[in-house]
Amino acid sequence: MAGNRSTLVLSVVVAALAVLPLTGVPDHHLRLVAEILILGVAVMSLDLLIGYGGLVSLGHAAMFGVGAYAAALFATHVSPDLLLAIPAGIVAATLVGAVMGALVMRSANLFLLILTLLLSQMVWEVIFRWRDVTGGADGFRGIPQLTLPGGMAIDSGVDLYYVAGVLAVGAYLVAASFVNAPIGKALVGTREQPIRMTALGYSIPRIRLSVFMVSSAIAGAAGALYPFVNLYVGPQVAHWTMSATLVIMLVLGGVCTLFGGFIGAAIYLVFQTHVSSYTDRWQLVVGLAFVATVLFVPRGLGRELHQLLRPLGLGEPRVTAETDKKGTVR
Amino acid sequence: MPLSDFTRRRFLAASAATAGLTVGGLPFAAPALGQGKGELRIGLLTSLSGPFASLGESMRAGLQLYLAQAKDGIAGRPVRLTVEDDQAKPEEGVRKVRKLIEQDKVDIVCGVIHSGVALAIRDVVAASNTLTFIAGGSANNLARKAASRYVFRPTKTNWMLGSTAGTWAAEKISRKNVITIAADYAAGREYVDDFVASFKAAGGQIGRQLWTPLGTTDFAPLLTDIAAAKPDFVYTFFAGSDAVRFLQQYQDYRLAGRIPLVGTGAAFDQEDVLPAVGAGIKGAINTFHQSPSVPVAANKLFVDAYRQARGRLPGEFSTSGYVAGQVIAAAAEKVQGDLTDKDKVRDAVLGLDLETPYGPMTFDPKNNQAVLNIYVNEVRVGADGKLVNEVVHTFNGVRDPGATA
Amino acid sequence: MEYYVIQSLNALVFAVILLLSGLGLSVVMSLMNFVNLTHGSLYLLGSYIAVFWMATGQPWYLAFPAAFLGGAAAGLILDRFPFQLFYARTHLMQVLLTYGLSVVFADLMRWGFGAHIATPQIPELLRGVVFILDTPFPIYRLFVLASGVVLAAGLWFLFDRTIWGAVVRACVVDTRIVEALGINTKHVFTAVLALSCGLGALSGALGSGILAAFPGLDEEILILAFIVVVVGGLGTFSGVAVSALVLGFTMTFAKMLSPEFSNLMSLAVMAGILIWRPDGLIAATRREV
Repeated sequence: MAGNRSTLVLSVVVAALAVLPLTGVPDHHLRLVAEILILGVAVMSLDLLIGYGGLVSLGHAAMFGVGAYAAALFATHVSPDLLLAIPAGIVAATLVGAVMGALVMRSANLFLLILTLLLSQMVWEVIFRWRDVTGGADGFRGIPQLTLPGGMAIDSGVDLYYVAGVLAVGAYLVAASFVNAPIGKALVGTREQPIRMTALGYSIPRIRLSVFMVSSAIAGAAGALYPFVNLYVGPQVAHWTMSATLVIMLVLGGVCTLFGGFIGAAIYLVFQTHVSSYTDRWQLVVGLAFVATVLFVPRGLGRELHQLLRPLGLGEPRVTAETDKKGTVR
Repeated sequence: MPLSDFTRRRFLAASAATAGLTVGGLPFAAPALGQGKGELRIGLLTSLSGPFASLGESMRAGLQLYLAQAKDGIAGRPVRLTVEDDQAKPEEGVRKVRKLIEQDKVDIVCGVIHSGVALAIRDVVAASNTLTFIAGGSANNLARKAASRYVFRPTKTNWMLGSTAGTWAAEKISRKNVITIAADYAAGREYVDDFVASFKAAGGQIGRQLWTPLGTTDFAPLLTDIAAAKPDFVYTFFAGSDAVRFLQQYQDYRLAGRIPLVGTGAAFDQEDVLPAVGAGIKGAINTFHQSPSVPVAANKLFVDAYRQARGRLPGEFSTSGYVAGQVIAAAAEKVQGDLTDKDKVRDAVLGLDLETPYGPMTFDPKNNQAVLNIYVNEVRVGADGKLVNEVVHTFNGVRDPGATA
Repeated sequence: MEYYVIQSLNALVFAVILLLSGLGLSVVMSLMNFVNLTHGSLYLLGSYIAVFWMATGQPWYLAFPAAFLGGAAAGLILDRFPFQLFYARTHLMQVLLTYGLSVVFADLMRWGFGAHIATPQIPELLRGVVFILDTPFPIYRLFVLASGVVLAAGLWFLFDRTIWGAVVRACVVDTRIVEALGINTKHVFTAVLALSCGLGALSGALGSGILAAFPGLDEEILILAFIVVVVGGLGTFSGVAVSALVLGFTMTFAKMLSPEFSNLMSLAVMAGILIWRPDGLIAATRREV
């Protein structure tokens, strides 16, 4: 890990993104980038579970969605202050994540996948059916714009872009420090050698619960900002198909890289939005592209990029993502 | 089905009428009125993937049919149609509508099937003062609190169908012992609540109310319940595959013919639902703003043309696409194709008195909502052995109550 | 009383529909440890084959073998490429590959068969009703019920009671020993995959008379099948059968109690089972080897 130089590269990327709005990019493109950053944060939080923990969850959208609805409701009924509404989303998502984590901590592999799917669909059912509060299938609208503590409203694409950028950097730092902390190392240990870890005195359920909570908190933060992009939130954000989309973004970007989430979200959103403007058969194109990625770039495009960047000082990813040794019994 | 084969990105009104499969190319016919107006850009936002894909294809085909018939463009301006897929997801719809407005610089946005998408884009189009014609999404709220100055809705509201069904059923079928069964989401709740309100107002009594989750596979337990309760009639709303399954299973369990079925037109849509449903369902009653048998000349012309283009009778959404084109054209003609002064366009729309395939259409100035005839359709077996919606009664000029409701 | 008998029969039929949709998936999962998310696509393919077959006026009962063969043929092709490359990969990679393929197949089918909803022309013979305790009950549902029971019993016999089944099970436990005995295990796996895909399509053909065929049904069935198989324990036919019965009865009786909360109740029951037994209802001890 070439710490200094990788920090340098990261700083260059952040600086380049920071001046992007000054180059005359149209408003709706900035909003799209803001959306990419927000979804990238959600994907990154899923990377903690899937990449580092080996916990393949198909229920992550529940936390994203709960964060979104909690922040939207808080902003509407209590205060649209950024420093209050976003934490409201984080707290709500963390609570749901804690409950879900506690319920799934004994499960593994496909059982975990299905259990998270079932639990997250229960959350979706509640959101979808609690019409008086959430607006049900029609979604929740009439959300006020977020305000900065001074009272300044965050209304343009540029404002949103910067807020999403700050969120992305902050979330990245939190996730990276979690991964590098002893608990992060222990988490990888539970993925690779659960029996030895137990023998060493680690409590696997406790480690899994804590990664679930951290991951949920980050997903909740991303979700909390999401309604303010369009001043609308619909139950779709908590549906399992959204979870599946997050997993796809993660794989496109590269598992176990953290930053791959942003690359995956960018590729998926930009590709899908553009292809679907040109052909009815966009699902075919997107599906084939995804299959090709799984076949030919199984480590994800983000990791290949990583390789290319090696001369710049970004060395091998921190932890290998190959879990082939475990997981299958054959 | 030549019309469905067009690439959706670009469709030029002119080439369509003659060439059938031509795509792209240069804008047709120099504008008759110069003044630098150039081509009229229309953005159609509709669902071409996801659960409403077939409805979206119909809506696009309907609008394309209208544009193909309007050979000389609209108000002398050639039309450039840009079609975007919202996937029946509000977030995607907003992304696409922003693209239509900011990148494609469309003069007009139209379409939208999913009410959630309609409500989600409402603030975006309102903020940019974009002329918008919601041709599909029929949530009551868009004619009420969410109504907006430049957002028009040349189609029904859910209230218009639910309340007329209540009135008609109370008078013609029975005032007691009715069971409602509907898909449990926003539209189902609105249809049934509005039905119940007007049914009760007419002295009716409501029995059990059943709500089934969207995408219900098996209705058998509920049909067994209904058979045991022996109601005077059943009021229903389902859409798409839920409707087909419900109606098929209603026949399988021999309820059809024994317990009268009344519903909203969507559950008996001529194009989407009836072709997949067996003849046992004949005799069912539904209230709708559309029917292939609406007795006006505009409808006969449209039904024939549509049949020629796609080989089937039109349903709600193909008609809605066509009518959207018709309304846009009529309003544009009134302002000589000059859409720059939006208030003028608004006055033009509100002043329209059109004969559409839906029947006569005017707009209510208080909420930009179309005032429409609502028909009581009976499902009958046509001469060709296929099911068809026949108008048996007309409620003239039904007007949504608006924000006061 | 008769009301509850009929409702139980309804539940049984629905359980068999779930069992049918899960059977093919369970075969590959338990015998090959391969997660095949294109299973829903094969189901839908079978539904479309039945719809089109019955519209042609050919003998209706041949629609079912036609669907089976169609599915099996698709399975043979998929086995060649790309499934074989993934039999030894992680579940996650299998999930991703087959999910991507299911998106591709969904769009191809929509392209070929159209986006509208299609229903098969069920023959007059099956369209009628029989009176059970004075209540009309659709013959077609009884036909599906019987078919499901026969299929499940046949599969159990094939894998548990024949030499062929013994070979397949041996392949799962130790591929190399079986190879040493002179049996080409690759061919065994190919045959199992083709059988599984054929079963998926056959289920689709049987189910189309009740569930219709339309884009999106593939995903709907996949999720139900996946839940049933995993909650059942991934390893055994009995697990899948018990799990299908639990879900079938839960969904049916939940609809009787309160249809609007039926989904929530069913999700809760299935989640509860997985929390109570993290390895599913009937765990396959074999997988611990």
